[in-house]
Amino acid sequence: MPECDNPLWPCAMTGAAACLAGFDGIAVVIHGSSGCYYYPTTLLHAPLHGTFILENEVIFGSEDRLLEVIGGLSKTGKRIAVITTCVPAILGEDIRSMLEGHDVILVDSPGFSGDIETGYAKALAILEPRTDPGSCGVNIDGVCMFDPFSAGNVQEMVRLFRMASVPVGTIFCQDRLENVHRAAPYTIGTNGDFASGTGEYLGGMLGFDAVRETFTRIGEVIDGSDIGPVLAELDHQEERVVQACDKYLHRYDPPVAAVFGGCSYATFAARVLNQYLDAEICSIGSRNSECDTTFPVARVAGLSQVRDLISAHSPDLVIGSSFERSVCGNAAFVGIIPPLRGSIRLFPSPIAGTNGTLSFIEQVLNACMNKKP
Amino acid sequence: MSLNPLPVNSSRLGGCTLTGAISVTSHIRDAVTVVHGPKGCSHHNASLLHATWLDNDRALLPELVSTGLSETEVIFGGEAALRQAIAKAAGRNSRAVFVLSTCIVETIGDDVEAVCSEEYGIPVIPVPTAGFLGGTFQDGVNNALIALAGTAGPCRRSAGVNIIGEMNLEYEIDENYAEIARLLSLLGLHVNLRFIHDITYDRISALGAAQLNILRSPSLVPVGEYLKDRFGTPFLPSFPHGLSDTLSFIASVAECCGIDGKGATEGERARQEELIAGFTDLRQSRAALDPSLSGPEDIRAAEELARALGFTPGETGHPVRLPVSAAVGTAGTRRMLHRWRRATHA
Repeated sequence: MPECDNPLWPCAMTGAAACLAGFDGIAVVIHGSSGCYYYPTTLLHAPLHGTFILENEVIFGSEDRLLEVIGGLSKTGKRIAVITTCVPAILGEDIRSMLEGHDVILVDSPGFSGDIETGYAKALAILEPRTDPGSCGVNIDGVCMFDPFSAGNVQEMVRLFRMASVPVGTIFCQDRLENVHRAAPYTIGTNGDFASGTGEYLGGMLGFDAVRETFTRIGEVIDGSDIGPVLAELDHQEERVVQACDKYLHRYDPPVAAVFGGCSYATFAARVLNQYLDAEICSIGSRNSECDTTFPVARVAGLSQVRDLISAHSPDLVIGSSFERSVCGNAAFVGIIPPLRGSIRLFPSPIAGTNGTLSFIEQVLNACMNKKP
Repeated sequence: MSLNPLPVNSSRLGGCTLTGAISVTSHIRDAVTVVHGPKGCSHHNASLLHATWLDNDRALLPELVSTGLSETEVIFGGEAALRQAIAKAAGRNSRAVFVLSTCIVETIGDDVEAVCSEEYGIPVIPVPTAGFLGGTFQDGVNNALIALAGTAGPCRRSAGVNIIGEMNLEYEIDENYAEIARLLSLLGLHVNLRFIHDITYDRISALGAAQLNILRSPSLVPVGEYLKDRFGTPFLPSFPHGLSDTLSFIASVAECCGIDGKGATEGERARQEELIAGFTDLRQSRAALDPSLSGPEDIRAAEELARALGFTPGETGHPVRLPVSAAVGTAGTRRMLHRWRRATHA
């Protein structure tokens, strides 16, 4: 049965909005009530639009209201994208016909159709991303506005690409709309849970090993690139991490860690903790899929499952969202996935790239040491 | 790009009935709220409550169970999923289960009341919500308060006063409550019940004991009327905003409770004069009130405050904008004055 206590992950409608709102040149319209509109707006901090339908539009049809909103936006010069919410999706209205005569992207992505990744992938597929043989550089993939590290990841990738003299291709999904159709032939990933599938995938950027391997491939395929500075920086920074973790282990036992998150970030965190701190990964609680990893994995959709995993293993380090922080007791905590409530976040921290791993290990060590007597 | 894509002055911005109702039911500590709808509806609301509770130093999470409707239930009906979710919630050692529906459930036509009327071993209370099909956020608040009030029976009258319908998503909710409690204490009165803010289910039974109900805002008047009909308790329609309103509030409470409030009113007036004397530096300010996020009563209170300070706010286009907020009582006014001073600095 589908029942679930305190569901931990947003719906497909939010995913579609997170994808489309990342593109400059799209005006996103949430076709639904104000209640459905407010959540993605506050979560994504993006200027979304809404039809804010009322009961009479459910009874008598929402066409007039939808066309009114689209008419108002048509003067902005932006491509309009309409995302359906639960009620309009089942009313039986032919929204596609309503929108005939308007150059509108329609994404049928009601909340009941799945989780955030479902809506994100559906919206991106409708944009029909494709490579352009004339484009050069490497695309940056997995940039989703839902991810609190996405802005930091982009900054970090751009920094590393500059160091390696690699042109930046299309950023999925934080770019100008026209760049969706002229992506570069190659792509690297910052968060595999929101992959675009566009271009030849050269690898991910989560963890030093992944950055090293991926840049080595970049060096092989991108003419004029110089990955030497990136690799040199990696060696230097990895040595700093090794020293800091070794110092920690000199005094303390390795943490027993429970890691919660989307598959991509969770496996990164588990791998890094195990590699540099010899941490025991008692469980990965995956929000979205069965991860391909040697660590023990369980699918976790609701808060009681989080509680059960934590109480079964009594970890002294919990990685996850502020939901996990609320139930992790005295364990040290580091946040890697939304929601990250109850703390002020102004600086765009990365989790990908060299600085992403540095930032993550730094937080882990400080959190663990703050919990020591 | 417009940073304000909302339609202006529209009734369409009333928010979700479900959110309003959850903001109430989640404050019964030993009860569980079942949300009959897709998982996303519960997640959105749990995330919102989580954020606001953390802002108010409550490191807890609301007890929500979602029926997790998927396409299958949307097509074939969700009553079986609801039955199972209620049974799960009832088995959690909770005192009661509140059942809230969503707009999708209203559209597919599940008979929520019938499922709730079955036997689960503890009270199962349906709250009329249906997302936007049930009205607005405020309708959800009112419906939940009335549904919960319906579980309370008559009881012996006491000297206490009830606080009705505090805004549980409000950042400064505890500070506003503390100010009302302070004003009541000037008259020798105490709070009987915060209906509903962080209480147990059994405490609802004390609802009818108060001699006066104080509503958080006039939008709760239907709740006040319901309680007046049910328990015979009179009500005041709002917390006070600003200086003179606070003095009138003390006088009104005193009158309703048959107390001589003259001394309390004069004492508070002296306190306000002392407060104003500490902010005379603002007289030199060249600034305008920023009414963008405020209601008319807040603006009136801010204008009165400016007059009391002896400064005249400029045109709204003036570069220094003084934030206008719902300043509850004298303490809320003091906090707003500090924000005004901050605005003149940065």
